[in-house]
Amino acid sequence: MKKVLALILSLSLALGMLAGCGGGSASSGSGDAGSGSSAAQGGQLNLFTWQGMFPQEVLDGFTAETGIEVNYANFDTDENMLAKLETAQGGDYDVIIADDYIIQTVIAEGLAQKLDTSKLSGWGNINPVYQGQFYDPADEYTVPYGAGVQTIVYNPAAVNVEINGYADLWDSSLADNLGIIANYRVINGMVLKTMGESYNTEDTALIEEAGQRLLELAPNIRLIKDDNLQDDIISGEVGAAVMYTSQVTMAMMANPELEVVFPEEGIGLGIMAMFIPSQAPNADAAYQFIDYILRPEISAQCFEYMGYYCTNLAAEEHISEEYRSFLTLPDHFGETEMIQPISAEAEEVHNRVWTEFRSACGQ
Amino acid sequence: MSRRSAAARRKNGVSWLMVAPLYLFTLLFVLGPMVYMLVLSFLQRAEVWGVTNQFTLANYQNILTPIYLQTFVESFKLAFTSTALIALIGYPFGYFMARLPGKWKRFAMLGLMIPFWTSSLIRLYGWIIILRSNGVLDKVLMGLGLTDSPLKLLYTYPAVLTGMVYALLPFMILSVYSSAEKMDWSLVEAARDLGASAPKAFFTVTFKLTLPGLLSGVILTFIPSMGLFFIADILGGNKVVLVGSLIQDQLNRAHNWPFAAALSVVLMILTSLMIRLYRRITHVKDLEGVL
Repeated sequence: MKKVLALILSLSLALGMLAGCGGGSASSGSGDAGSGSSAAQGGQLNLFTWQGMFPQEVLDGFTAETGIEVNYANFDTDENMLAKLETAQGGDYDVIIADDYIIQTVIAEGLAQKLDTSKLSGWGNINPVYQGQFYDPADEYTVPYGAGVQTIVYNPAAVNVEINGYADLWDSSLADNLGIIANYRVINGMVLKTMGESYNTEDTALIEEAGQRLLELAPNIRLIKDDNLQDDIISGEVGAAVMYTSQVTMAMMANPELEVVFPEEGIGLGIMAMFIPSQAPNADAAYQFIDYILRPEISAQCFEYMGYYCTNLAAEEHISEEYRSFLTLPDHFGETEMIQPISAEAEEVHNRVWTEFRSACGQ
Repeated sequence: MSRRSAAARRKNGVSWLMVAPLYLFTLLFVLGPMVYMLVLSFLQRAEVWGVTNQFTLANYQNILTPIYLQTFVESFKLAFTSTALIALIGYPFGYFMARLPGKWKRFAMLGLMIPFWTSSLIRLYGWIIILRSNGVLDKVLMGLGLTDSPLKLLYTYPAVLTGMVYALLPFMILSVYSSAEKMDWSLVEAARDLGASAPKAFFTVTFKLTLPGLLSGVILTFIPSMGLFFIADILGGNKVVLVGSLIQDQLNRAHNWPFAAALSVVLMILTSLMIRLYRRITHVKDLEGVL
């Protein structure tokens, strides 16, 4: 029965391929839009970021104007990005967009180049609120591109408790009705916040204590996932969820009845930023691209598409009424704190506590 | 005499050359990564990113933490349960498929294979659409008046089991089918002629002759089910923590590659031990279709 054997083998191959999927795949964005652009003007821009960070019109518009073709390659996690950038020794890519904490490591490893801001006419458009942060204190390497906070969203029709902050999530009426993102620094940090501590504490006893409190939350957890958590609150799978800003925007667009809560215990802020790798093959194109994105109208288009807080002050007036309240920082925003890298020892306790929690949720 | 052996040697040499690329390929792409992983598992993580070239056993000690041991138990539990379910469904399926007339047999085989033309991740999302609240199954059950409000089917252990059985069932069916197909049915007739009842003939003849198929089906489903953590993540809402999922966490989020490597090494050793134990118990040396 060689045929059957062959079938079995091909089945296992098919199954094996699964393991490979989900990884980043490079896809060329736009084609030959630049009409009449000379070869000297043209060239390629290798853009490396998550999927869905730019509307296709913006990429096409850039190619039409400059003749530079955009190669859009995706990664699924910051860590994969850094591993690839490290293998390429800071080459291969011209512009990378990633999260704050990983950029700190990128800079520390010497994989990013200092920006020549004189080449960026739109440099002044950046909202200073998002500058001078821990990962790039002197703004030498990065241009912010979107910010987000972790918020609680709930459906008043499906929840019997008034939610004002993280502490309310422990309420027993929320049993099996809560969805949370799968980021342990955010979720463990949320407990640290209810204890009045910092996200970035390296005191392992405090993290252990947070872990104990987290275990008490387990009966309320219906699911833990990072991608498209908004789908589950829209479909009614969960009544309340802790999620990222872009997900909140999508959830609110789909169901305006939902309530958004900025937790009273404090707000965790995250910033995504663009940088040029140290050995970028086409740094000139990178500057052109970043400057193009910094234009107020273009920026506004991008932020409406992404659903993150607009980091471009000049772009705010171009954001349509429908989106404005979601994409600009609310006035009543309290103090924010960013999640930063911590010691390996503290990191390991975070991990263990998180695994205990996940496993308790399944019991 | 000497001339003949020289010719034989030359012939041997040529055939060795022909298989050399295969050996090279295996060395490079199978043994290479395994050695790399083994070495990595004895190194120390760097404070923020990467590893330092410092020998340590801490990664293996770390596995002894109760919660991490628990993930191994959880993985075995899920693998055992799903393999048992798959055998229960897959054996009769494969058996009756082999008994079908030729045309229907080919038809059944085609029906079994067609789903594999789509990515299994997409088929898993199909399960989400069926199981989610107010999803297809909920609508059907409520339409029939069996339930009056949406059930919480998704993100539960049974949902994970369903996904596992669904993904791995064809392996069992095909190996049972292959041994039932080549069985000499006149042996069953002989048993019946000699007075055995139908169940007795089945258990003394058919079952024993198709056992190798069943056993290789068990291996073919058990081993992948030890590693298929994404089914538990997607259909179980990340609440069933398997070793695979823990390894992924360590690589993608915790930046602790050495610990991930140590977990992988232990998982590989445990799985190979399981196969050895299994072969000793069942006395199967030549598994149908595999090994």
